[in-house]
Amino acid sequence: MALAGTVLPAPWWGRPLRWLVRQPAWRTLGPFVPIAALWALAVELEIFPRAFFPGPLEVLRAFGSLIYKGVLPQYLQDSVVRLAVGTGLGVLAGVPFGILIGLHTRSYRFFWPLVIFFQAIGDIAWLPILLIWFGFTLTTMTFVIVYTVVFPVIFNTALGVRTVPLEMIRAAQSLGAPRWRILGDVVLPGALPNVVTGLRNGLGYGWRALIAAEIIVGTSGIGFMMFDARRSGSVVEMLLGMIVLGILWYVVDGGILAPLERATIQRWGMVTDV
Amino acid sequence: MSDLVIRELTKTYYDLYSGQHVTAVQDVSLELREGEFVSIVGPSGCGKTTLLNVIAGFIPPTRGEVLLDGRRVQGPGPDRGVVFQSFALFPWKTVLQNVAFGLKMRGLGRAERERVAREHIALVGLAGSEGQYPHELSGGMQQRVGVARVLANHPEVMLMDEPFASVDAQTRMTLQEELTRIWEAKHPTVLFVTHDVDEAVFLANRVVVLSARPARVREVVAVDLPRPRSWTALVEDAAYKRLVARVLALVRTPAP
Amino acid sequence: MRAAARTAPRPQRRTGTAAAALLWFAAPFAALVAAWLLAVRAFDVPLRVFPGPGDVVAAFRQQAAVGALWTHVRESLTRVLVGSTLAVVTSVPLGIAISTNRTVAGFFAPILRFFSVLAGIAWIPLATLWFGYGFGAITFIIFNAVFFIVVYNTMLGVSRIPLALRHAARSLGAGPVQIVLEVLLPGALPNIVTGIRTGMGFAWRGLIAAEIIATNAGLGYMLFLARDFYRTEVIVLGMILIGAIWVAIDRLVLAPLERRTIERWGLTRRVA
Repeated sequence: MALAGTVLPAPWWGRPLRWLVRQPAWRTLGPFVPIAALWALAVELEIFPRAFFPGPLEVLRAFGSLIYKGVLPQYLQDSVVRLAVGTGLGVLAGVPFGILIGLHTRSYRFFWPLVIFFQAIGDIAWLPILLIWFGFTLTTMTFVIVYTVVFPVIFNTALGVRTVPLEMIRAAQSLGAPRWRILGDVVLPGALPNVVTGLRNGLGYGWRALIAAEIIVGTSGIGFMMFDARRSGSVVEMLLGMIVLGILWYVVDGGILAPLERATIQRWGMVTDV
Repeated sequence: MSDLVIRELTKTYYDLYSGQHVTAVQDVSLELREGEFVSIVGPSGCGKTTLLNVIAGFIPPTRGEVLLDGRRVQGPGPDRGVVFQSFALFPWKTVLQNVAFGLKMRGLGRAERERVAREHIALVGLAGSEGQYPHELSGGMQQRVGVARVLANHPEVMLMDEPFASVDAQTRMTLQEELTRIWEAKHPTVLFVTHDVDEAVFLANRVVVLSARPARVREVVAVDLPRPRSWTALVEDAAYKRLVARVLALVRTPAP
Repeated sequence: MRAAARTAPRPQRRTGTAAAALLWFAAPFAALVAAWLLAVRAFDVPLRVFPGPGDVVAAFRQQAAVGALWTHVRESLTRVLVGSTLAVVTSVPLGIAISTNRTVAGFFAPILRFFSVLAGIAWIPLATLWFGYGFGAITFIIFNAVFFIVVYNTMLGVSRIPLALRHAARSLGAGPVQIVLEVLLPGALPNIVTGIRTGMGFAWRGLIAAEIIATNAGLGYMLFLARDFYRTEVIVLGMILIGAIWVAIDRLVLAPLERRTIERWGLTRRVA
């Protein structure tokens, strides 16, 4: 973003620095290097007691050992699978409903207050009753994720459908397109950028919901690992969990959503502001 | 291509902001013969776009009717193709797919509709751009695609809603000449709405001048200039200048 | 397809349809309650599984009479208020300070996005370790949820102010402080307010989660306590309250705030 714009000095380390700065990896990871350094420094200076605030090296060590024990990969897999299933169901439920209320004014007016209200209750507040119904099982966790994902998907899909330019719909009409064609050939592609945004937001929310659910309910998964670490007082694992979470988000966003955007929206020149 | 008859068309709507009923178009009657090019001009905001939207079938008239070849018009359809000021191209379709769209709606097979589409893309001077997406094209090129898209569908009437208003002045002149050239080759029936008097006279056989809102037909001016027309020729032409002056006077002075 | 044919929302009728609007708002909820009542009766659902509307009303009366209800509501609201205010007051200046220099802004942006993802709930284990159970941990969670998002949005807002505006201010003699107060702050306001709204949404959720785990008062706690005793009518009462309170905060406070700042200045056409 900005480092490429600054004027770099002439001395011998100028050229390699210029090269380094242009690498995309630098742009994403670079800022974290000083943070990590600061972190290590803070730990050395014992600003907080070691027990409460371990350093990056210890976290790295824990990372290594958990991988070795096969625990981390397993937890990771569990979390990711749950997220995928929950998100998939959320999108399956949310997109058609979003299209309905986006297109049909009466439906919109009727359902909108209900949608807002249920969104306000939030997924976490459902946990107690879910636990009574389903206990500490996968169903409970999936419900929570679906519930969280579905709302941004609905909102963004509805918005996308409603903001398809009127003239584009009229153009299709004046070219003889029947209603179902207009839906499939104009409205849906036109709404796609917003649907992808909804998916992106939904994934973000779902991710957080997953962690919360695992903390409260779980028997495995990253969230559970963090909470379990709390009970055993292992701050290292807690921090590790948080870092893994953040990194995973980067991977999902960069590895799945960004390419999806590139293949569709950017190719069509319909980029929306992120 | 057939006759378009507009009979005592009136359009009134309820304005939510002011809370009043506004008459945009009042008792407009008009007839277009097959193959004619008719321009509609009027003062800004007079209701000419509303008139076009009613003819296109996007909004229903309050009173009066629109007849195409004797049939009453109800709703939009491929018999009245529309070229929009904002181009309204489908960003997720290539130029070829956009132009072939109407043909696809009719159920033409792929090979056939691509053939027809290519023909029309070449007609508007865009051969070679078939595989590009609209956002890769300039404004002028996009509007050519818009025109090609409508022509490829062979409508009975082509309705054009200030199609060159979103394009810079030089490109506009080029497009006007292109449009005349295409019209002189194919003779579609065209109803062309614009606020630009120069353009209206340059392109048309007849110019319909509307009054300020509510729009009424104030006068119809016949344009007898010889064809083919070009800007270089007409810019100095006395007859052209006289016609423009006359239409301009009608537009700019309030009706008695 | 006519409903899809709007690119902007209809302007609201000013002529006496406020009553109709209220009716449209109440109707779906009335339908929902009716369906709820019907379902509970028709399927003969026991109280242990799900309460009927009548049970919930009775629970409301009872909890209110005992005074517990108000305590919980008050606790939750206080925490959210304190945490959010603290967060906003620190994050906006920080966001503006960071964004005055483009290099610095570009540097911090990925970090802030990273931490935004972790907002709220993920910090609960750590927060309880550092602050113990109770007010401190919960306030931290709330602060956290709002802080990162508002800083990020503030930066986004400032970056969107056209450079021409800053140049104009400087060529009219504005000093750095004045540029911040007269150009950067108002210009970034739409994004800031959106950020606050989003952040508070997270904060509310995080609050409930935190109260479930880490304390002994508040709506989240009330919910979880009721679960231990299978008192579904209290649970559902809590859920309704949680939903209703957030709708009230969002619709009556945050949305009008957003509307007034953004739409009045014509900076965006519509607000969700």
